[in-house]
Amino acid sequence: MGVIDFIINSILTQASITIALIAFAGLLLQRKPFGEILSGSFKTMLGFLVLSAGSSIIVGSLLYFGDIFSEGFGMEGIVPSIEAINGQAMNDLGLGNQIALTFLAIFLFNIILARFTKWKYIFLTGQALLWMATMTTVFGSAAGFSGLGLILVGGLVGGIFAVAMPAIAQPIVRKVTGTDDIALGHFCTIGYIFAAGVSKITGKNSDSTENIKFPKGLGFLSDTYLSVAIVMVPLYVITAIFAGAEFGSELSGDVNYIVYAFLQAVQFVVGVYVLLAGVRLLLAEIVPAFRGIALKVVPDAKPALDCPVLFPYAPNAVTAGFITTTIGTVIAMFVLPWFGLAMILPGMLTNFFAGGTAGIFMNAVGGKRGVLIGGIAHGFFITLLPALLVPHFNNLGFVNTTATDVDTVTAGLFFEWLIHPIMNLFG
Amino acid sequence: MPFFKRNKKENNVKSEVQKEVKKEHLTEQIDNYLSKLEKNESEDPTHILNMLGSLYFEKEDYDNAIKYYEESIEQRKTLGKAFTDLVKLYNIKRKEASQEGDREKVQVYLQKSDDLMKLTKDTIRGNM
Repeated sequence: MGVIDFIINSILTQASITIALIAFAGLLLQRKPFGEILSGSFKTMLGFLVLSAGSSIIVGSLLYFGDIFSEGFGMEGIVPSIEAINGQAMNDLGLGNQIALTFLAIFLFNIILARFTKWKYIFLTGQALLWMATMTTVFGSAAGFSGLGLILVGGLVGGIFAVAMPAIAQPIVRKVTGTDDIALGHFCTIGYIFAAGVSKITGKNSDSTENIKFPKGLGFLSDTYLSVAIVMVPLYVITAIFAGAEFGSELSGDVNYIVYAFLQAVQFVVGVYVLLAGVRLLLAEIVPAFRGIALKVVPDAKPALDCPVLFPYAPNAVTAGFITTTIGTVIAMFVLPWFGLAMILPGMLTNFFAGGTAGIFMNAVGGKRGVLIGGIAHGFFITLLPALLVPHFNNLGFVNTTATDVDTVTAGLFFEWLIHPIMNLFG
Repeated sequence: MPFFKRNKKENNVKSEVQKEVKKEHLTEQIDNYLSKLEKNESEDPTHILNMLGSLYFEKEDYDNAIKYYEESIEQRKTLGKAFTDLVKLYNIKRKEASQEGDREKVQVYLQKSDDLMKLTKDTIRGNM
């Protein structure tokens, strides 16, 4: 009994080990050679620990930013980053184990739903599934679920999203790609449908974006981390200036307070870099294993692929959608605090991928004019939803941050607004 | 009823013949482009590679279609038909592998599809 207790209480409570065991099972099911099973499991564990290290770096930088922002502007400044939410949930909230198992449960529910319903979508974007697992676990746990119940509820909700989101996007995806064999697997889909709706109403008979010639000059975006830095550095430095030398120096010690702000902004970028490197390592072994299983169980599956699958169909729409969405997020940043909501700073990564993909959706139904008006509305929408979650994140102890991808935000709001009150009724 | 049956049979024969003719026509076009590629006649070899990819795709010779499209992307990364057709081709090949129960091949085409997504991301950002 002592040995079993030791395994259950001291080993399986360690998220890094649970995750390594999931990879172990996946590789075993694929009948990989034993050496590969061992190295794959070890790399997965390493991935989790790298992710944790990245998360600590991000949290350190966000704590500093939160302090100078409230000193400088007298309000809360929230950095939207699903990566930061995932990192803090896994480490600081101690939900790593549950998130890993929910991630697995989402896969299984996705397979079951695709096998037995008419929605034959298998969601292949592993990273997006990890973000979804994070949100259902965080808000499922806040609603009062724990243990197996938490994993099953989170898995079911996530599994439904994994088939429903490709399904609602499919009519427009079919129109863009000309085929029904490929689907879109990106958890920003509710935003795309909202943007397409606005575009359809406002963009009647408007010409396609593909006939415009865009000036080149957004080359700085060619690097993910540079695009994050380009927003974070001025943001930190300007905020530090507003917070003033006296307050800034309290935090910066011997270093000049503006130089310190600059270095903290760079630290944030480093954190994102390390965290995402961890995520890649973590998913590299698990995802192929379970994809293989899913596509075996559901042979007529429609693979739901990451958003770049649509980019080659309308590259101009991607640029246009990114620009108009960014304008919308900047407007929302200033408008939302009037309504008592937190100030949400623009998240360049989401603006690029979600804005770009929304651009393709909007162009397909409403042309140039649709992309312009729909994109601004989209930017506003994808800032508003995360702003609604901020008070809940704050209550749970998250530091100056909120989630990004709107489908995961919707899952969070679904738990907070519907499941949580129901649980309270019975609790 | 037998009348209808005969009609259907005739139609089938007709469409078979049409298919054959189309195939012959495609082979002719392919040969034409292959010789152009060999002789290095065109100023824009990626255009020829894309045409070959597209014609092989139409001919349902998926392996050759993939071969020429991949070569085209290697030479010049222009977002367009090479990218969009390759995703479809990888999916067709992946599906075939799934049906044959060939795990290794399933992973190969999933990985190819992943790599293409990554290349698309980098290419579109590089083009801005």
